[in-house]
Amino acid sequence: MVEVRGLSKHFKEVKAVDNISFYISPGEIVGLLGENGAGKTTTLRMIATMLKPTSGTALVNGYDLIKEPHKVRSQIGILFGGEVGLYDRLTARENIRYFADLNEMDSKEAEKSIENLIKLLGMEEFIDRRVGKFSRGMKQKVAIARSIVHNPSVMLFDEPTIGLDVTSSKIVQDFILSCKGENKSIIFSSHSMQEVEKLCDRIIIIHKGKIVEDGTLDEMKTKYGQDLEEVFLRLVGESR
Amino acid sequence: MNIKGVLTVFNKEIKDLFRDRKTLVVGILIPFLIFPLIFGLMGRGIESSTKKVEENLKIGVVDKGNSSLSKFLKSQQKVTVIDSQDIQKDVKDGKVYVGLIIPENFDNMVNENKQVDLKMVMDDSSQSSMMAQGSLGAMIEAYSKEVVKSRLTSRGIDPIILTPFTTSIETVSKEQGGFTKFMMSLMLPLMLLMYAVSGPLAAAIDLGAGEKERGTLEPLLTTQTSRMNLLFGKFFAITVMGVIGVISSIAGLMISMKISPGVFGGKGGLSFPIPALVIMGILTILLTMVFGALELSISIYARSFKEAQTYLTPFTFIGMAAAYGTYAMEIKNVSLFLFNIPLVNASLVMKELINGLFNPVHIAITFVWIFVYAAAAIAFARYMFSRERVIFRT
Repeated sequence: MVEVRGLSKHFKEVKAVDNISFYISPGEIVGLLGENGAGKTTTLRMIATMLKPTSGTALVNGYDLIKEPHKVRSQIGILFGGEVGLYDRLTARENIRYFADLNEMDSKEAEKSIENLIKLLGMEEFIDRRVGKFSRGMKQKVAIARSIVHNPSVMLFDEPTIGLDVTSSKIVQDFILSCKGENKSIIFSSHSMQEVEKLCDRIIIIHKGKIVEDGTLDEMKTKYGQDLEEVFLRLVGESR
Repeated sequence: MNIKGVLTVFNKEIKDLFRDRKTLVVGILIPFLIFPLIFGLMGRGIESSTKKVEENLKIGVVDKGNSSLSKFLKSQQKVTVIDSQDIQKDVKDGKVYVGLIIPENFDNMVNENKQVDLKMVMDDSSQSSMMAQGSLGAMIEAYSKEVVKSRLTSRGIDPIILTPFTTSIETVSKEQGGFTKFMMSLMLPLMLLMYAVSGPLAAAIDLGAGEKERGTLEPLLTTQTSRMNLLFGKFFAITVMGVIGVISSIAGLMISMKISPGVFGGKGGLSFPIPALVIMGILTILLTMVFGALELSISIYARSFKEAQTYLTPFTFIGMAAAYGTYAMEIKNVSLFLFNIPLVNASLVMKELINGLFNPVHIAITFVWIFVYAAAAIAFARYMFSRERVIFRT
């Protein structure tokens, strides 16, 4: 469960995120849809406690990100798009184990979780090889395992399929759906209408740091009488 | 910050760095090999020139009068005297190491107690020629003394009258190797300072800007470990790599002294008292920590490897400037004020220790300052790691 309350982030004079509020229930995938620079990544970085909000806060499973950032981080997993960000000279297992240790898991718990993820993601063949020469799909699996090794109940996805081929995108999409199946609260940031339509239960359209619409796809279609792309263009265009 | 968290980061970074060939080559292998290679080549060059000249001193002579001097030279062991038609050319071409032009009426002038003007021809661009000139000069001097001796004897005067006293030299240093010490007092501070700066460099770039460039920094910041665990884990890993680099370079220097003693002016091997070694070791480790923290702070500010390299390259000049600044200082007359200048103080204390001087005041002042620098550098690194604008600078 995530509850965002009046969250704002200003960089000097720029209001990257401007007083936004929303919530995500367990087992719900909420799409954060917006253009580049709309404030999606800044919002996710604040929820992940990487950035301090200028004002407002968010509760993650009841933990306040201002007062209890360490507890908040124990509840979340995050998967970034673009470069997967792995250590090439470490094996896949070492990469995942490092993040398990950084998330303060005990040794047995970490090993058990890694073994489960190896089976779940089909990494048996390459788990003990250094990741430097892995294909993008293999790296993507390692990055996914790393983000979920500590079994978080809230998952943040920041444009996770950007730059991926069809196969790798499918791996990520299946993973997002499996997280939903495990009743995790999921925020999925993207600027791809198709992906958002395909995966999300609810869509928040964000523009210039403000939420311009929050509802299910059906609600939006009913309200505006158009498909998502047209709704998006209309809302973004209106606020320009 | 907690020890377990710091150790997790430290262990991973050390494992990662030791698997990086570039870091191992730049940080350990090159410092280890560079001195044996440089001094080995220099030593071989010097030894080969010396050996050639010592075993067969080839002297070209222009002596139309077949003088007693050239006969004297020919009588010397390991000397080959060659009659030369073009002495300048023979010296220049290396046919002979040095030339001697003896006037035709040399013997007559000597017998008439006149002063004879001899001319030596040498090639000042050739080390062999310079060494041969020294040897030839010594032989002429010996022959000259013989002439003087016979002149005085013929007049019934004891030649000892020309030597009213003799001088013998005794060095104040108890052990052998005073010149080696002098060489080391010039070189060791320079090396230790330079490696304290450059030793942690490759690791600092990799663990700061490298994390940003690989895209691994953001995932790290989302974990439960604190930023201070990340900072100190990285900082200790960088310090360890820096210290290993310093040890490699010193090991390389010690090996150089063993295999090329001629370059260092001694028979090889120089032992320091244990307290001096300990103090120099701690000084170097602290300086490595200071530079490691500064380099990590700047590296984390940089957006990429390349940018970090650009920012950090001038650091090596700082170490060199401090060491060269004290290079020619006479260690026994150094002003106390200089021990308050960063790096200069460390360099001076090292020079003192190498020369067997233990000045507790100098050592204490230097240590206090280095602790201050280390604390300031670590505080700066903490500040940089806690700044969003630094961490997320794109």
